[in-house]
Amino acid sequence: MRLVWKAALWAFLLIAAFLTLFPILVTILGSFKTNAELTAGATILPSSWQLRNYAEAWRQAKFSTYTLNSLFVSAASTVGILLVSSMAAYVVDRMAFPGKRLYVGMQAFTMFVAIGAVVLRPQFELMIRLHLHDSLWGVVLILISAHASAFFILYSFMSGIPKELDEAALIDGCSRGRTFMRIVVPLLTPGLGVCALFAFRGAWNEYLLPFVFTLSKPELQTLTVGLASLKYGISAASQTHLMMAGACLSIVPMLAVYLFANKSFMQMTAGSLKG
Amino acid sequence: MNKKQLMLAALSATLAGSLAACSGKDSADGRDGGAAGDKTKIVYWTGDRHDSEFIKEKVDDFNRTNTDGIEVELVVKGDDFDQALDMSFQTSEAPDVIRVKENTIQTFYKKGYLAPIDDYLSDELRAKFPQMDALNSFDGKRYSLPNYGTTMRLIYNKELFQKAGIANPPTTLAELVSDAKKITAVGKANGEYGFAQNFKSPGSALGRSARVIAEISGFGGFGYDFKAARYDFTPFKPIIEAFKQMRDDGSMLPGVESLDIDPLRAQFAEGKIGMYLSFSAEAGVYQSQFPAKIEWAAAPAPSIDGNVKGASGFLGGQWLAISSQSAHKDAAWTFMSYMYGDPILQQYQEKGFGISMVPSVSEVAAKPEVYGIDGFLPNAHDGVWPVYPAVPVQGAKSDDVFFKYILDGGDLDALIADLNKRYTTALDAAIASGDVVAEPDADFDPAKLAGQYAS
Amino acid sequence: MRKTKELAFSYGFLMPSLALTLVLGIYPIAWAMRYMFYDYKGYGKQTFIGLDNFARVMRDGEFWHAVSNTFVYAGGKLALSIPFALLLAVVLNRGLRGRQILRAVFFLPTIVSTAVMAVVFFAIFNAYNGVLNQFLLKYKLIGGAVDWLGADHAMMTVVLVSVWGAVGNYMLLFIAGLQNIPADVYESASLDGANKLQQFRYVTVPMLGPVMQMIVMLAIINALKGYESIMVLTDGGPIGKTNVMFLYVYKLFFPTAGTGAASQIQEIGYGSAVAFVTAIIVGLITLLYYFGSKRMNRYA
Repeated sequence: MRLVWKAALWAFLLIAAFLTLFPILVTILGSFKTNAELTAGATILPSSWQLRNYAEAWRQAKFSTYTLNSLFVSAASTVGILLVSSMAAYVVDRMAFPGKRLYVGMQAFTMFVAIGAVVLRPQFELMIRLHLHDSLWGVVLILISAHASAFFILYSFMSGIPKELDEAALIDGCSRGRTFMRIVVPLLTPGLGVCALFAFRGAWNEYLLPFVFTLSKPELQTLTVGLASLKYGISAASQTHLMMAGACLSIVPMLAVYLFANKSFMQMTAGSLKG
Repeated sequence: MNKKQLMLAALSATLAGSLAACSGKDSADGRDGGAAGDKTKIVYWTGDRHDSEFIKEKVDDFNRTNTDGIEVELVVKGDDFDQALDMSFQTSEAPDVIRVKENTIQTFYKKGYLAPIDDYLSDELRAKFPQMDALNSFDGKRYSLPNYGTTMRLIYNKELFQKAGIANPPTTLAELVSDAKKITAVGKANGEYGFAQNFKSPGSALGRSARVIAEISGFGGFGYDFKAARYDFTPFKPIIEAFKQMRDDGSMLPGVESLDIDPLRAQFAEGKIGMYLSFSAEAGVYQSQFPAKIEWAAAPAPSIDGNVKGASGFLGGQWLAISSQSAHKDAAWTFMSYMYGDPILQQYQEKGFGISMVPSVSEVAAKPEVYGIDGFLPNAHDGVWPVYPAVPVQGAKSDDVFFKYILDGGDLDALIADLNKRYTTALDAAIASGDVVAEPDADFDPAKLAGQYAS
Repeated sequence: MRKTKELAFSYGFLMPSLALTLVLGIYPIAWAMRYMFYDYKGYGKQTFIGLDNFARVMRDGEFWHAVSNTFVYAGGKLALSIPFALLLAVVLNRGLRGRQILRAVFFLPTIVSTAVMAVVFFAIFNAYNGVLNQFLLKYKLIGGAVDWLGADHAMMTVVLVSVWGAVGNYMLLFIAGLQNIPADVYESASLDGANKLQQFRYVTVPMLGPVMQMIVMLAIINALKGYESIMVLTDGGPIGKTNVMFLYVYKLFFPTAGTGAASQIQEIGYGSAVAFVTAIIVGLITLLYYFGSKRMNRYA
């Protein structure tokens, strides 16, 4: 009986994994085809392997230059988002203060509205006043300001951590700040890990913000901006083969971050930390 | 605990590393700026990709040879060109020289992005480059000059036509429908279909097909009647019915409703599509990007009933413009006049990037070196249409209404009556608010538009 | 004294988040949304027209069609992706050999660029030579080519594609939630003789409660807001069958370049009004869910 269960489970997992991987396999194989073969479809394996797609994509999207910029924006905004939202989540969950509901409502509101690039103009004008309009710090600040979902995730994780723990620490004479850093943050690792991963990915894929903020400083552009330049040209067909090669290349750093986050956070359970 | 500290350390190391990288670059730039001294730097944005190697070469030549200390930075944007330009103007980072197109120059002008160039134009230049209202001139001032134009054609697979026993490409809607049917009947077993259009975007699909059929038949391609200064979509009825007929006959490529232009081109290059309608840029695509495996050619678009009473749209009239925000307008003009010099314009046509719209250039320039271009060269039926007043209509756009009819059917007369009503309401509102000017022109004769560019 | 200190601490900790949200989140939204009372096309005159834009929203059939499409899309996406993600999370949380590799596999779709996936899914689903049809035809599972991106099936296809892209996210969130449950709770449960299924029912489900509630809430908001993969895959077509409300808003602000000049007209004023109405719709549904699920928790 146990064996049947196990077999069924594995059959389910393998089918699900195949369905998940198939489109990615098509992408990888497609990245080695000529544009014509790729766009026409019909074949699964490339009829001749076009390694030069990768060289072209690397060169045209200026990977070597832009990857560092992307890493900077993503890492800085991830740290910022984690800091800002875990602090807010802590006080909202643990403390009583007037205006709490208003704050939570405001965070929720920012998630309900989506008007995309229309908000860029006031944001940019603010950055001009702060003299951050042609630096990646402006991008980082705006990315950090959009932390509503990280806040809500951490808020829910926070409420799963027994209050007795930090109360005990307080009674021991620990200050609120120390309690937060020493007791709560370590217990929050699974939530922080997944939020960090999502924040990093969000920043890594952000296109419009770095694009606008680097208009006059092309050397500060990020990978997404470079990748977008591979896409379409007016009066010509899109370079789908290069787009695919570029996409495959840009998966690699992101995957490395995932493996890192997975190893660092998602291995340990809250229970194991205590022991 | 240790793991967390490790992680933070790693993160801050990454951070510091990239910071160092950024500031390193910044200071390098500073040195560059110092050494370059009093170079005037201007930025030139284009959305064109097909000619980017050629343009880059010419920009490099200019940077090397010009004696005014001007340095041009070429920026090639993708399909986000318009949005990027909006952003750049809102953030005061606008380029100095802007590539303008037939369907963007009006908007850019209204948004105040463009600077008039009249002060720079000598009488000789004024005579050399045709002036066209709303295509390069507004309120009596010029903002751009023509370089090349785009023709619209029926593009067809000669081999499939031969196989189906059809001697000539269709010249009427009835022939279009029956030819598509014949090709499909013969080729369907091999996956060959008579007709396709990129209906994933109905606006793009009908804007390169129904539009030119209407224009060559003597009607405004976007439903605007220049004689009456009114919107009237009635002339589109037979065209849309013919498209529906092809769809109902099963003569269109399966899945045509989600077909984008590139997959369409790729299937045409493979020899799976009998015909479609599009712009002259297709020739370059089949030469370089999707090498065509078949014999193909371009022919004039069919007219509704075989009577050519109008002009097949020759699109263009503008190329480069100077930004109203440019701090270096003189330098920008120096560069622009270099780009508009005869050698570049001539090579532009000869290398097949476009068909010249400047009479003195087309007289001397050789035919483009591109397979299949012959059918695209301007003939007695090509001509430049005036620009129709664009209005913000409420509810579904004409293209979407028409495509819904092609798929689902319905009462086409009622649909057209509704379109006419809504577009007219929007037009009247726009006239009342002063956004557009639309005056009847009793002498307007679409047939007279044709012919000036015939080679 | 203690109370003042606590309050000062609370606001101090809240300040970075509050300041950033107000200045770079709320203010820009308010700045842009004021256009909802104006007739504004992105250039030229800005005419104050009061509530006219909202009257137009009310009679805008295309918009309400997009709203009902959104419900179908979001409903389908949630109904498939949440249970599937939860199942994967429970299975891959601990114990199983190879779980790390499988987790990475299910996470992969969430990092591939949407624009590229549109090309790939077209290659899989298109009616003419799509991989799926070729496969189904070869094994005689369908009689003739099915137009998966056509008017009849496009909604189902975009839902499946969005599920493909979302499962990994929710799986990871659920895994993190499961890891948040202290291990000793399970230990004591198994000492009490609870089997795996009982442990799931009496430990996992109640302990996961608040996190689960939040994950589902975020999933609802994301499903209602999602439009990017639809935009690249079908662009809302054919004939508006997959047009969702945020895609509709996007197109009012950034009309896709057609060939005619009319396609270039931006509807900033009207678009802001529609964006406001969509925000209210999303907000109402979220609140409805939030209070509904709280109530269920209480009775559970």
